[in-house]
Amino acid sequence: MERVLGDFIIALRNAGIRASVSESIDAAHTLDLVGYEDRSTLKISLAAALAKSAREKEIFNDCFDRFFSFTDCADFAPDKNIDYEAVSEQSLSPLTILLLDGDQAGIITSMMQAVQDTQLSNMQFFTQKNPYTRRILLYMGMEELDRDIRQLEQAGAPGALQQAEALRESRGRLFDYVRSHVERYYNLFTETTRFSIIEQRLKDVKLSTVEERDFFYMLLIVKKMVKRLNDVHSRRKKSFRRGQLDFKKTLRKNITYQGPLFDIIWKKRKIDRPSVVVICDVSRSVRTIVRFFLLFLYSMNEVIGKIRSFIFCNNLIEVSHIFDNYSVEKAVEILRTGQGLDIGLSRTNYGEAFLNFHGQYVRSVTNKTTVIILGDGRNNYFDPETALLRKIHEKSKRLIWLNPESIPFWGSGDSEMKRYGPLCDIVRECSTLRHLERIIDDIL
Amino acid sequence: MVLSNKNIMSIENIQNAFRRVEYICSKHIATTVYLAFQLNKPILVEGPAGVGKTDLAKKTAAFLDLPLIRLQCYEGLDESKSLYEWKYGKQLLYTQILRDKLNDIVREKNNLAESIDALHRYDDIFFSPQFLEPRPLLSALQHRGGSVLLIDEIDKSDDEFEAFLLEILSDFQISIPEIGTIKAESAPFVFLTSNNTRELSDALKRRCLHLFIPFPEAQLERDIINIKVPGLEDSLRFQLVSFIQHIRTLDIKKLPSISETIDWARVLLLLHAESLNAEVVRNTLNVFLKFEDDIAVVKDCLYELTQHALKEGHA
Repeated sequence: MERVLGDFIIALRNAGIRASVSESIDAAHTLDLVGYEDRSTLKISLAAALAKSAREKEIFNDCFDRFFSFTDCADFAPDKNIDYEAVSEQSLSPLTILLLDGDQAGIITSMMQAVQDTQLSNMQFFTQKNPYTRRILLYMGMEELDRDIRQLEQAGAPGALQQAEALRESRGRLFDYVRSHVERYYNLFTETTRFSIIEQRLKDVKLSTVEERDFFYMLLIVKKMVKRLNDVHSRRKKSFRRGQLDFKKTLRKNITYQGPLFDIIWKKRKIDRPSVVVICDVSRSVRTIVRFFLLFLYSMNEVIGKIRSFIFCNNLIEVSHIFDNYSVEKAVEILRTGQGLDIGLSRTNYGEAFLNFHGQYVRSVTNKTTVIILGDGRNNYFDPETALLRKIHEKSKRLIWLNPESIPFWGSGDSEMKRYGPLCDIVRECSTLRHLERIIDDIL
Repeated sequence: MVLSNKNIMSIENIQNAFRRVEYICSKHIATTVYLAFQLNKPILVEGPAGVGKTDLAKKTAAFLDLPLIRLQCYEGLDESKSLYEWKYGKQLLYTQILRDKLNDIVREKNNLAESIDALHRYDDIFFSPQFLEPRPLLSALQHRGGSVLLIDEIDKSDDEFEAFLLEILSDFQISIPEIGTIKAESAPFVFLTSNNTRELSDALKRRCLHLFIPFPEAQLERDIINIKVPGLEDSLRFQLVSFIQHIRTLDIKKLPSISETIDWARVLLLLHAESLNAEVVRNTLNVFLKFEDDIAVVKDCLYELTQHALKEGHA
């Protein structure tokens, strides 16, 4: 029965529950304690050992229900009223004999063996269901079975024909059974594995071409990445917390103990959480990527101290308050539709944006601020106002320009990247989630 | 040994034992507690505020007749407050008192090196268990005959503290540099509670069984009210629970939890209310709603909610 548990845990992992080895061992122990008798107890117990958050509990419940819903085994035995003795006992294949005997356990064992031999677990796409079914049947000895049926039909001995008929029926049932098994296997293991395949693909796909139906997955992936980055960086920051020995304070504190230095005081280093100003182009070409970038950035609240965000197209406006008032996902959604925002969305004007920013908000940039500009630098041949960008650069700690276009296109047509680029500390191409992750890693 | 306690030999026994100490628990809770006892693992309890996470530990201690040792977590909690601290005062006092003795030891020596050598032979004296002030975690480990250790609101503590707990949770032992490793006399039953203000680390979760306590279903909530507020009329109890269950489906800031339901039931009992009506509800809304906005939301649909509760209460 351990194998059942093993399979179940694999299914859980595929569905996104990170069950570790030690948790699997716990699960095995709980299984020993509660057994398989009571379904609800089993479910609760395994959930306690394996699913460790409210979200994981949901996934778990779903998986459990699917996994432990056994369809009754089909009845393979042919009609009993056939007189087997009458038929000549030629050299029948093992599968034929199993079917003739109606040996269910034997058939299932044989099928499980075939499932292993054909490596059904490698199945990835639903189009593979049929080939796998056929291969499993082949491994079980379908060809020999067909040969036997043919021979029986041709033999012409009394009763042989009926037997062949019955075998044909059993063969059909067997086919259905194997097929439904493959089906279930697919639903359980592969449907859920899809996430990991999709994840790998989506990390590298150009953000501007992501389809609407994949957004849900994108959000999940971003969440995962954010969590990882948060973990990495919050730890790094904290380890710097304790500074050197603060001798003066130590002496002062220990005067009360008449001299001996019992209580040692360390200099505390202030945690330096970066403050960020983001200026995003929201014209159509860049909008999707801005969406994910902001999603990313605002989710990093454990590590980033302060963010102010601005968006521009014809003109520039501040949108920080939207993020303060709504949840990150909601805010990003509002920005996407641009509802109720005082912004013109026709022709991007970088010069105007820098003018607006420099005029109203430049005070928010200090020598501790990282300024990130996200845009393709396509200025519709307006005045680029490079002098203003230089001023912003001088005031900030770092100026980063992220461009969703690939490098060969920079500077072509109305792109001003060749002029803006040299004024920035870092200029990067940024078009996939992986790029985003790496860039944010660098900012911190 | 506690494990031989017959109260924890089966899931039903646990459920009954909890009932005896006035804690109504779902099968879910009982099963997890049973597993935790049998596998000797800590339980991480999560769920919305006020569903009885802390109470679970208290009542477990009550029915097992074990002392409850509670550690309330907060930001900045460190090992000197949670595990042990040296009794600095006592150390100082003793060095003062024993000054003459120390002088004697040093006086016989000819030079500095020898004096220090001589002192070194004694220096551990001041860092021995007699000078150790046990804090909750250490005292839980040292308790003979076991104890129930409640680490409350672990999500409020820092990451470092969480990491530091790992040794205790998996091996029930701790290392004190000056003394060595202290192992538990008998392993305590550990409950950790979390309100999910931040995600706990995987390492911590891995070492615990996980229990999520949601808001109770109507039947369970009625049972709880029945035990906690015995004087309440049956019909009122039905109406009240139905009302609260409906409130929980509304979009409000803070959903009322069991503790609030109980408070409300007590208030209604005090007011000698016989059945719910819009007037009574309006006057007592602030018992279970804690935000001005929430009260406004509920007031808007007060009449419908009350009518609905009355209807369901009769059915």
